[in-house]
Amino acid sequence: MRAPPLERRARRVLPNDAAVARHDAAVYDLRRRRDAAAARVPDWEALREHARALKHYSLDHLDTLLLRFEKRALAAGADVHWAIDAAALCDIVGGLLEERGVHRVVKSKSMLTEECALNPSLARRGIEVVDTDLGERIVQLAGEPPSHIIVPAIHKSRAEIGALFHEKMGTPAGETDPERLTRLARRNLRQHFLQAEAGITGANFAIAETGSLVVVTNEGNADLGMSLPPLHVACLGIEKLIPTLEDLPTLLRLLARSATGQAQSAYTSLVTGPRPGGSLHIVLVDNGRSRLLADPTHRASLACIRCGACLNTCPVYRRAGGHSYAPPIPGPIGAVLAPARGAGPESDALPLASSLCGSCSAVCPVKIDLHEQLLAWRGEAPQMGLGEGTAIRLAALVLRHPTLYRRAGRWLRRAWPLLSRRWPGNPVSGWLRGRELPAHPGPSFEERMRQRGSSQ
Amino acid sequence: MSRSDREAILAAVRRGAPHRQPHPGAHRAPALGSGFESFATSLAEAGGLAHGPFAPADLAGCVANLARARADADHDADGDNERIVASHRAAELLGSEPGLLLETASPGTRPHDYANVRVAILSGEVGVAESGAVAVSGADTPERSLLVLSRHLILLLPAAEIAADLHRAFAALPDDTLAHHHLTWVCGPSKTADIEQTLVYGAHGPLTTDVVVFRGNCGHDPR
Repeated sequence: MRAPPLERRARRVLPNDAAVARHDAAVYDLRRRRDAAAARVPDWEALREHARALKHYSLDHLDTLLLRFEKRALAAGADVHWAIDAAALCDIVGGLLEERGVHRVVKSKSMLTEECALNPSLARRGIEVVDTDLGERIVQLAGEPPSHIIVPAIHKSRAEIGALFHEKMGTPAGETDPERLTRLARRNLRQHFLQAEAGITGANFAIAETGSLVVVTNEGNADLGMSLPPLHVACLGIEKLIPTLEDLPTLLRLLARSATGQAQSAYTSLVTGPRPGGSLHIVLVDNGRSRLLADPTHRASLACIRCGACLNTCPVYRRAGGHSYAPPIPGPIGAVLAPARGAGPESDALPLASSLCGSCSAVCPVKIDLHEQLLAWRGEAPQMGLGEGTAIRLAALVLRHPTLYRRAGRWLRRAWPLLSRRWPGNPVSGWLRGRELPAHPGPSFEERMRQRGSSQ
Repeated sequence: MSRSDREAILAAVRRGAPHRQPHPGAHRAPALGSGFESFATSLAEAGGLAHGPFAPADLAGCVANLARARADADHDADGDNERIVASHRAAELLGSEPGLLLETASPGTRPHDYANVRVAILSGEVGVAESGAVAVSGADTPERSLLVLSRHLILLLPAAEIAADLHRAFAALPDDTLAHHHLTWVCGPSKTADIEQTLVYGAHGPLTTDVVVFRGNCGHDPR
């Protein structure tokens, strides 16, 4: 039996026990911080329930919220664009930048633009995009996708980052101190900020009532990107809409605590219309979201606020690493969203790589039933390999026919010593990695009854 | 391009949005501490420092000392520029303090002009005791590049404007808050832990964030 794709990739991504242990500890530390922060909020569970209900209300009224948002954003002086898929987003943003002769862009973290491969598309037009979140800059310089949605370079050691900065930014060789490396990156990126002709951001939420965007960062990079260049382009998925300003604090109180255990991130910026003398273009992106919205089994995954809590708690993510999943979003939420995007057979198989332990659902700030979603995708995706498919069909046949069942029981009991050994070609050797077959069950109930009958 | 995309997206969204779920109403958060002490504790956890609460007469002197101390202790700053820039409201609150050489941010200043500011002094609208965050409004800081370009940030906050939690803090904001281009909640200094989870302050924005809390209204209504 073939190892599932995630397991095969994981052995490459985190190649030895030490790498697994380091990644596991770093990620689980975030989970512990989240637990401590949640414990200090007396109304935590009520907040989660409120957030769930708010997001479900918003999805259920998304058409009217989108129209109201568009109206208010236009009234505030912004331009609003609609992109049905990734290609449309890239066309719109590329067009906006080209029309204005923009060649240098600073970008703050946006999983949507990763999903839509905006950077490579702009690069093809000769536009330089500099990712400015420190973690994103690190993976950009390394030519890799982010491996975590909140901490994109969590898989990299300080030594690797020091060597990368030395090679790409000319920083002193051998520098591995995180504080000095951060200062060096700050100095380098500050020049990019000051020279940029446009800033691209995502948005954590968009408020229909006021036409405002809500952008949350710890570094302040989005604020520099929005306040220095004359042009601000904000790209957001249509599921980011919420009705009113009054609905926002519930989600904000959950977001930072769930992500990093902070009570609040360093910068929470509400942007309404362009800055004085500047222009603001908002691109509302569908890219499969409306299809998911109309699917009652899976629409709940659209409520995700991208905090990363399900990654940090997931026993599979912690030991497999983000690059074992389908980019851009790893972990349980990634394994649920990837098959929804129809990203291919490897993505369709991601829901199989889960223990269905439910830890993800238990920490999700908007109470997405992630493990139920994973199970539902297993039922839908044509993801089973030839081996599993054949084995299950064979089992079904045997279970339907009592005679065959009895014979199969006898054969398997005889073959037991052979199966439990790791010989090349053993059909269950893939499963035996990390598992043991149970002890030989001895004679079957029927056999024992027959023996008893003959001895009496 | 986007005209047809707009109609197609809206049509598809309508199919999945049957308008059946009720709005859950407002969340009623239990009342927690809204005093200076809780605010100061939360801000310290976010890497910032709260000072006060000061009597109106002592505010300017304290801010002057603090601004000088932050500027002097920063040995890493590029060049020898020691600009201290205050927003219009902050400058009004501070009056003519002889120990403080202030520039007042004036309308028409380009955002890039704040690139070499050592200390920015701004007036905060509302503080949040549960997190240590302070709201800075576009009404006071039209060019908000000042907020993130300066190496050190000092926010002035009336003690009466500290709310217990974020729900109450949003409710306490002036009605016309979103009529301005931005409203920014600042919670401690700029920070990152992107390199091996080591917390570093001053990722892109200010290395330090101080909040100076004062009683009364300093002879000026910050609203």
